[in-house]
Amino acid sequence: MENKVVVLLRKAPYGRVYTAEAFRTIMGIAVFELDICVVFMDDGVFALVKNQIPEKLDMKPLGEGFPMLKDFNVNRFVVHDQSLKNRDLSASDLVMEVETANSDQIAEIFDTYKKVLPF
Amino acid sequence: MLYTINYASIGSDNLDSMSRVCPKNSPILFYEDGVLACKANTVMAGKMKALLAEHPVYALIEDVKARGIEPLVEGVKTIDYGGFVELVESHDVVPWLRN
Repeated sequence: MENKVVVLLRKAPYGRVYTAEAFRTIMGIAVFELDICVVFMDDGVFALVKNQIPEKLDMKPLGEGFPMLKDFNVNRFVVHDQSLKNRDLSASDLVMEVETANSDQIAEIFDTYKKVLPF
Repeated sequence: MLYTINYASIGSDNLDSMSRVCPKNSPILFYEDGVLACKANTVMAGKMKALLAEHPVYALIEDVKARGIEPLVEGVKTIDYGGFVELVESHDVVPWLRN
C-alpha cells in the first residue's frame, strides 16, 4: 500500500472548525511519514490569505501555521486557480508559495493519491 | 427589521434566500463567514452592489480583519462589536443562519 493522501480543504476559516481540524489532522498524520498533498479549493483558499488578524475573535491566525508544516515534511500545497480568481485573489495574496492547479489537474491529483480526507 | 447573515459566499444560496425575503431599505449586517461576500471584486461583487442599492449594508470589522479580506465592496459600512450591539438594540432582528 502506498502511503499517500490528499487533505482537501474546501471551507472558510474561522466561521467553522474545519480549517483548524484539518491542520491538526495534517500534523497528526505527518508523524507517520505519509506523502501528504494539501489541496485548497472553494472557500478553503481563504485559509492561506495573508494578514489574518483574528485576535478579537480570541483565535490564533490559521494561515500562519501552514508554512510551518514543511518542518513536518509536508511539502506539497496545491491551490485551485479558479477558486482564487473567483475571490479576486492571486498567489501573491497568500502566506506561502503554492502550486496552482486547474480542475483537471486537481482531479489528476486525486487519481494519483487515491485517498482524500475532506474538510 | 435588521437582517443578520453569518454565511454568504460563492456557491451558497444563503444570501439569495435572504434577499428574496428582505424588504427594501431593511439594514443587513454581515458577520462571521458572511463577511466573505463583502470582499471587493469577487464574482459576488455584482450581487453586493445590487444589494447596496436597496439596503444599508454593514460588515463586522472584527470578522473582516480576522479573514484578511479588505478592501470591501464600496458602500459597505464596517462596524465593531459595539456597533453590532447598537444595531441590535435599535431593531428587531431576523437572523439568517448558514443552511
